[in-house]
Amino acid sequence: MSLNFNLGEEHVLIQDAMAKCLEPFRGRQEELKQSILVERKFPQDLWDAICATGLMGAVIPEKYGGNGMGLLSCAIGIEALAERGFGNALLVLTAMDAACILRNGTEEMKQKYLPKMASGEMKFCFGHTEPDAGSNAFRTRTFAKKDGDDYLISGQKTFITGADVADRMLLTCRTTSREACAEQGLPKAFGLALFIVDPKAPGIELRPIPTRGIEGMTQFLVHMDNVRVPASDLVGEPDMGAMALFNSLNPERILAAASACGLSKHCLDIAVKYANERAVFKERPIGAYQAISHPLAQVRIELDSVRLLTHRAAWAFDQDMNPGTVGNYSNMAKYQASELAVKAVDRAIQTLGGYGFSEEYGVIYYYEAARLLRTAPISSEMILNFVAEHDLGLPRSY
Amino acid sequence: MKIGVFLKQVPDTETKIRPAGDGSGIESGDVKWIVSPYDEFAVEAGLQLKEKSGGEVVVVSLGPARTLDAARTALAMGADRAVILDDEGFQGSDPLGTSRALAAVARKEGFDIIFCGRQAIDEDNNQVPQIVAGLLDWPHASWVNSFESEGEMATVKRPIGGGKLEVVKVRLPAVFSCTKGLNEPRYASLPGIMKAKSKPVARYTPADLELDGQVGASAAVVQLTSYQMPQARPSGRMLEGEVGDQVKELVRLLRQEAKVL
Repeated sequence: MSLNFNLGEEHVLIQDAMAKCLEPFRGRQEELKQSILVERKFPQDLWDAICATGLMGAVIPEKYGGNGMGLLSCAIGIEALAERGFGNALLVLTAMDAACILRNGTEEMKQKYLPKMASGEMKFCFGHTEPDAGSNAFRTRTFAKKDGDDYLISGQKTFITGADVADRMLLTCRTTSREACAEQGLPKAFGLALFIVDPKAPGIELRPIPTRGIEGMTQFLVHMDNVRVPASDLVGEPDMGAMALFNSLNPERILAAASACGLSKHCLDIAVKYANERAVFKERPIGAYQAISHPLAQVRIELDSVRLLTHRAAWAFDQDMNPGTVGNYSNMAKYQASELAVKAVDRAIQTLGGYGFSEEYGVIYYYEAARLLRTAPISSEMILNFVAEHDLGLPRSY
Repeated sequence: MKIGVFLKQVPDTETKIRPAGDGSGIESGDVKWIVSPYDEFAVEAGLQLKEKSGGEVVVVSLGPARTLDAARTALAMGADRAVILDDEGFQGSDPLGTSRALAAVARKEGFDIIFCGRQAIDEDNNQVPQIVAGLLDWPHASWVNSFESEGEMATVKRPIGGGKLEVVKVRLPAVFSCTKGLNEPRYASLPGIMKAKSKPVARYTPADLELDGQVGASAAVVQLTSYQMPQARPSGRMLEGEVGDQVKELVRLLRQEAKVL
C-alpha cells in the first residue's frame, strides 16, 4: 500500500502557485518571448514573481529562510514553469548550489547565503566546465592557493551559464594539483574543492560565448587571475570536495529533467492546439490524421514515463537515499527526459509544418533548448556509460 | 476579530461533468476538485480584514472527506484554522441543512463577521449566505464587490445592473457574499503550503452542534431526484442570398418553424 502515484495535495498547490504567479504577465507574452528567446534576457520582475512563491526555498530548511518542502516540490514547480514556456537555468543552478551548501557548508556559510537564495535575492551559477575538463572533473586545473586567511584562485572556466546575472558562482577548483596527487600517490579524487565566488570580484573577466540553446541566458568564458576569496567561502574541506561535487550534480540532473518534462509538455500543448484547429483537406482538422496524432500520443505516453522517473529521483534525494542510488535514478531521468524533449519539439515542428519554423510560434527556439539538454549538464552517452557500469555491472568503457 | 469564511469544494470549471449512471449525482472519478472561485474572494477578504484589524480567520466547509483539501488550500493561503463538517450525518444536506450547520458553527465559534462566495459554482443555488444570515438574525449583503470596515460598520458596494453600484452600510456582525472584483485572491505560496500542514483542523458532528435530525439527506426539504445532461442544442442555420431575401426567409422561419411571431 505504500506505492502511490498521485501527487500530494501540496504538489498540486505548487503547480497552482506557479500558474498564478505568471498570471500578471499574461498580457506581456510577446514581450517576454522576445526578451527570453531572442535577446536571451530573463526579465528580473518575472524572476522576482517566481521566487515570491518560495520556490527557491524548497530545498532549504525553514531554519535558513526556506520552506523545506524538498527537491520533489522544487522539481514539480520548475516543471510547471517550463510547461508554460518559462524554463530558467538559474533556477536549476541556484537550487542545486543551495543543496550543496546545505549539505557541505559551515553553519556561518549557511546563515550567510541560504536565506538570500531562498528568497531569490541571490542567484547562483555553477563554474565547473573548463576548456580541458568537464565530464572528467579530475582534470580540473583552476587552482586555489592558500594565502593567509584567504585563497587566491586562478584559472579558466567555460560555458558558464548566466555568469553575468548571477550574484555568486559555485566554483570547482583544485587545492592540490593533479600532478602533486600523482607524485604523492594520492587518489585522483583527492585535491578538489568547491568555493563560493562573486563573479564580479576583482581579477575575474567574463567573456560572452556566442552559443545557443539556453533560454534567457548567455554563457561565458570566465577568466580568473588571482581572485581573492576568504577561506570562509570554501564549501567543505580543502582537497575533499569530490564527493560534495558529485552529490551536487544529482539535483542538477533531476531539475534539468524536470525542465525537460515541462518543455516537452509545452511543445506538446502547442502542437495539440494547432492540430485541433488547422484544416488542410476538407474541414477536418489535421489532428484527425493518425500520422499527426499518433506521434503526439507517443510523446504524451513518454512524458508520463519521464515524469515518473524524475519524481522518483527527486523523491530518493529527499529521502536521503545513498548517493549511488540517487545518482542512478537522476541519470535515468535526465537521459530519458532530454531524449523526449528533442522528440517532443521535433514532433511539434512536424505538426506545425512551416509554422514550426516561425518565430511567432517560437517552437524552433525550443529545438535548441531541447537539443542542448542531450549534451548538458551531462551528455546522454556519459549517462549510458554510467548506467552500463554501475547499474548493469559491465566493464568501464573509458 | 474572529472572521469566519465559508467555502465549498466544487469540480474544476474545466471538468467535463457527466451524470452518474444511476442519476444520483455526477461521475466523480476523474473530477479535479477546487475551492469554488467565489469562495476564494471570501478567503482573500477574510485575510485582508485580519491583516488590517487583527484576529483570526477560520474557514468552515461542509462536504465529504475530500473537502479537507479545499480547506487546506485556504489554510495555505493564510487562514489560521479550519472546521470540517465531513461527518456522515451532514452528507446530502440541502441549502437549508447546510445553512443550519454553518450557522451553528458560527455561533459555536463566536464569529464577528462571515464572508462567503456569492454562490458555489456547482449547483449555483445562491442560498446559503442569506439563510445563514436569517438563522443568525444578522444583516447580510450579497454580491459584494467592494468592502471597507470601520469599527462596527462596514461599507460595501454591490452591482445592481446597468453598470450601477449600490452602496450599503451594514452593522457588524453580518454576512457578506463576495463576487468578482472584490479582490485578487492570493495564491498559496510554498511556505504557506508547508505551514498549512500543521494548522489545526476541527471536526464537529451534528450532535456536537445539536442538529440531530435537522441536517443531512433525511432532513432535506429540497431533494434532488435525478441528474441528466441538458439536451444538445441543434446547430444554427445560416441564411444565404440577398439581404432582402434573407429577411423574408427569417420572418417566415420565425413565424412557421419557431412560431414566435
